[in-house]
Amino acid sequence: MTNINGKAYAMNAITPMKPWKTPLLKLFFLVLGAVKPLQKDLKNLSFIHFARWVCIGRNAFPRLSDEQPTEELKYDYLLFISNFNGTWNQYIDAFSAVLYKGLDAIWLWSEKYPGSRPVTAFKRYISFVQFDTDYYYNAYPHSATNDVKAAIRVQSAFTKFAQTSQSLSPADFQEAWLSFQAAVSPDLGATGIAPIGT
Amino acid sequence: MANVSGSTYGLTTLSPIIEDNKLNLCHSMQIRWYLSQLPRDHRSPFAQLSSTYLARLVVMDDVVFVGHPACEEHLKSRYLLFETNFDGDLNTYLRRMATEAGEFVNAVWKHCVGFPGTDTVDAFITYMKTCQIETTFFFADVNDQTVESTLNALKTQAALAHFMEKHEGLPPADLQAAFGKFVERLHNAPPLPRGGDESRNIAQERRPHD
Amino acid sequence: MTRIDVSDIQGFALRGYNFPYARYLLLELAPAKQARALLRKLLNVVTTGERWDINNKPQSTVNVAFTHKGLEQLALPLASLLSFPLEFQQGMRARSDILGDSGTNAPERWDPVWREQYVHAWLAVNARTAEALEARSREMQQFIDETGGARLLQSQDAGAIRLHGKFSTSEHFGYTDGFGNPDFKGAERDCVPGQGKLTKRGEWEALATGEFLLGYADEAGELPVSPIPHLLGRNGTFMVYRKLHQNVNTFRAYLDAKGKHYQGGKEKLAAKFVGRWRDGTPLELSPDMADPTIVADPNQNTNFTYGEDPAGIRCPLGAHIRRTHPRDAFGFNGGLVNRRRIMRRGLAYGEYVPEGQPVSDSDERGIIFMALNASIFRQFEFVQQQWIEYGNDARLGNDKDLLLGNHEGKGKFVVQGTADHANPPFICGALPNFVELRGGDYFFLPSLTALAMIATGTVDPR
Repeated sequence: MTNINGKAYAMNAITPMKPWKTPLLKLFFLVLGAVKPLQKDLKNLSFIHFARWVCIGRNAFPRLSDEQPTEELKYDYLLFISNFNGTWNQYIDAFSAVLYKGLDAIWLWSEKYPGSRPVTAFKRYISFVQFDTDYYYNAYPHSATNDVKAAIRVQSAFTKFAQTSQSLSPADFQEAWLSFQAAVSPDLGATGIAPIGT
Repeated sequence: MANVSGSTYGLTTLSPIIEDNKLNLCHSMQIRWYLSQLPRDHRSPFAQLSSTYLARLVVMDDVVFVGHPACEEHLKSRYLLFETNFDGDLNTYLRRMATEAGEFVNAVWKHCVGFPGTDTVDAFITYMKTCQIETTFFFADVNDQTVESTLNALKTQAALAHFMEKHEGLPPADLQAAFGKFVERLHNAPPLPRGGDESRNIAQERRPHD
Repeated sequence: MTRIDVSDIQGFALRGYNFPYARYLLLELAPAKQARALLRKLLNVVTTGERWDINNKPQSTVNVAFTHKGLEQLALPLASLLSFPLEFQQGMRARSDILGDSGTNAPERWDPVWREQYVHAWLAVNARTAEALEARSREMQQFIDETGGARLLQSQDAGAIRLHGKFSTSEHFGYTDGFGNPDFKGAERDCVPGQGKLTKRGEWEALATGEFLLGYADEAGELPVSPIPHLLGRNGTFMVYRKLHQNVNTFRAYLDAKGKHYQGGKEKLAAKFVGRWRDGTPLELSPDMADPTIVADPNQNTNFTYGEDPAGIRCPLGAHIRRTHPRDAFGFNGGLVNRRRIMRRGLAYGEYVPEGQPVSDSDERGIIFMALNASIFRQFEFVQQQWIEYGNDARLGNDKDLLLGNHEGKGKFVVQGTADHANPPFICGALPNFVELRGGDYFFLPSLTALAMIATGTVDPR
């Protein structure tokens, strides 16, 4: 299972687009970059560490020597790369359930895209255009992006508390300790090995 | 600049792989074989490149024909797709790849067209930038940390949960003293290993094939 | 309005009978010829979903379901057998690594009937009285003897726990159970607030029929995966059967020990474990005390959301009911949970021991957990894997469900709280396994039409 390292799954998908559509997609992303609703939804879903969409023009595949044959392509390609937590099915299901408008706006320019609803045809399409990762590195394999964000909140509260608490009287410390524990108590989940992907 | 989100840089490169019909094992297979043997945990070359969050290498054999009425078309070269997410700027990262992970970089990219090696760092940087494809839209869930600060936070979180559980109900003065010691102990504890210590031992690989 | 064909659907799929007595006959089927003869007998007595005449309620009910091995034994065409979903074909034993059924819950530790043999069919009798249960069971045995269609591997009794001389909906740990089954379109009762799915306006409406019955549109706007021919699947559903042993002594001792240190008190801690006080009052509605008027009111007892309690101060983020029916807890108006719902049909087994009396973990005691859903993979297995044995969706990392989790002594449960001494944060560590899996399998609960097709050997391959 080379697509998985710890709690992260590496997805790659490539879809063909008619070249006249590429500027429209880029325009969409440009506007999106400004208004950021997709960014907000992705943040709220909170199971993607990093993701990117890369438009590759039909003449943009790197050519490094004269001996390398020149590509002769009719289509531009949309490359999607994601580092997500959870299982493949969970990921696609979630996209289809709550992010379908954003997804459709991104992929409707691709050939034969069936739409993200109903989910079965969408899954078939994704698995068809997906290609597998050969090597995947993860700096913190035992942590999902939720775990990371929780830990950062804990660290921030902890740093403050550690700096201020030692000079308190024991009675004041006890009260401060209670407040500190209350503040970090939603963020104390264990890290570890993820369940088996399905 | 869509390659950047906050303090995180997202690099994407496509390097054409050498086609040589005379070889028994073609270059793309050699890359795949090498990568399949490469450790993925704290012994990974990316653990050396300490600013790397997540990185992948993928041999892209071809594009996909999605069916009529789309046209069938094929690539003339195979490409090595490299995706990495790291702290800081591109030049520094590429320089570190050449100088701190040169053996690995050479072992992989020597199968690619026009790869100049890593001996001349500037030539390597130029090569990688030639292969770079600009990201159209980049999403980073957390983009204001470093790998180091993240691992440090994860260490604190786990230790703190343990401390809280063990010291429930202690008298205030004892608790305060214990907490003081805990802060010091945590400060001196070794950092979590980048890449984890047993990431190959994932549950997935224990599942027999159906 | 979705119309469903109630006379073709087994009653068990549409409603909990709420009868206090039950017996599950676990059968090994004879070769197809005799087994079909048995099914033809059963066809006349299987209870459908038709409404009961108020003056003529049955004394007992009969329902039947098959494992994939059972359908093989009944000699369904290969094309049909292979068209069933993969997880059903594999059966629960082969899915143990996906489900987290390892260690004390591993198949090697199951009861012999699930470990050493293959259950082909589940024949269920529910009854109003002990006499009716026996009478109906005798009839079933007669059918088996007359046709030679099956061998009884085991008979599992279950039933409502009697408290103060009356049948209750309590389970062995002392919690009132049986709230919160999802409503779906076409089922007979109106949607009860809290039981279906949330609308954008924050109201509740019934889920799509296809989440629980094959042959109808589901929440994704398509028909659920179903065997071919379609008639074989339509009006049927899948059932998960799990015998869950309860370590009552361990539970009571753990609650006592931790309850001494928790400033909110033992009963409040018990409520924090589950998200309901032991009488059933939801913590979200009444965080400081049990309130019988809420429990008694169906418009209140499941009518709540977690949106106002994002940090788990009333109901902990990891409380059992918050994990398994998260409502709006994961955001997106519940959009991430509507396709993960299951219909529960559980009943207790074993003798109930009141609090304060000596009780042993090793006595046969627990719950026969049965869940109905259109897709075992997408619904039950997901809930078990992601929400019981894992915590990422609840933003709890690897922490597991306190009650059902396979902790093996290592887990923890965090009670979120405030600086208020009556509701402080608290960590329960070194969690033992309060519940252990003793076996079970995946079953297909066919429609009457499908049962007749199977019984007559007329399933037509495509």
